[in-house]
Amino acid sequence: MGLESEVAQLQRGDLDALSALLARYQNRLYRYLLRLVREPAEAEDLFQQTWVRVAEKIRQYDSKRNFEAWLFTVARNIAIDHLRRIRPESLDEPIPGMPGESPGTRLPSGERPVLDGIMDRERSGRLAQALELLPVSQREVLTLRFEEEMKLEEIADVIDAPLSTVKTRLRRGLDRLRNTLETNYPGEVWQ
Amino acid sequence: MSDHGKIRELLALSAADALTRAEEEQVMNHLRTCPDCSAEVDRWRLLAAGMRRLPTPQPRPVIVERARAQAAIRLAEEAEHRWHRIVMMSVILFAWAMTLISWPVVKLVSGGILGMLDPGLNHAWIAFAIFTTIVWASGGAAAVFLSLQQRRERSLA
Repeated sequence: MGLESEVAQLQRGDLDALSALLARYQNRLYRYLLRLVREPAEAEDLFQQTWVRVAEKIRQYDSKRNFEAWLFTVARNIAIDHLRRIRPESLDEPIPGMPGESPGTRLPSGERPVLDGIMDRERSGRLAQALELLPVSQREVLTLRFEEEMKLEEIADVIDAPLSTVKTRLRRGLDRLRNTLETNYPGEVWQ
Repeated sequence: MSDHGKIRELLALSAADALTRAEEEQVMNHLRTCPDCSAEVDRWRLLAAGMRRLPTPQPRPVIVERARAQAAIRLAEEAEHRWHRIVMMSVILFAWAMTLISWPVVKLVSGGILGMLDPGLNHAWIAFAIFTTIVWASGGAAAVFLSLQQRRERSLA
């Protein structure tokens, strides 16, 4: 069953379509929410709220619009409301300091790194930690571009901002990310 | 800003595949002649590759199942609300139709066939209009009260 038909069936209240869409997007949506709020417990709560909101609003979804962008917009609105409630200061402020083990880098239980992958895993962990230090506005653009592999136009749609703003946040986010990594781990290769 | 400086500003976006075709061509042309920028873009590309290879955290299965159950309940509630709205609209339309139809009937009963042609208002007409207004106002108030109560119960659930 294709995405369009799953969405159309969900608009008719089909529970199988709900399951199919959940299976299709569960990891990506959770990852995005986790990157935004950084705490797994909060991300799980927002994940559930997002799907409830999707069930509420799916009949209002315009099929001419990109479904992924719509879905991530729903998740983003819920996450931003949540962040404003718990951290009313500006969402553009960077997070000070370098955290310890990052919840956002935890892997699914049962996955055991092989010896060859340990260094990669450590580097990824540090990269994810540095990502968490960015302001939400830059962090979300980086995760949408590199992890969700969205086009710039789609990102602009999700965050409801002009393309130029997306590019600026992307460049500033990358600058800050690299600066953090080079300061904290000089000489490290970040591939 | 020199060309070199301008191009250098674009290198991070180039590694992120976020440049227009013209900008990308401009960058590529410059990279052929500038080893410094060429090394710099390689560093950005390594960072971009690292970003793309970040591990994907997964939600716990129990959370996914809970999300599915809650969304299914909400879908059912939404369908029920839509059905209620359709029933309510049908009842209202039916009630209005009956009201409009009953006016000439009342006029026929109170004044005969000739009475129907009489444009003037008599006591029966006025009484009927008052009665209809009271009935509709009471019905409307009851509907609003029930709707508010239902919404309150739903928000407490």
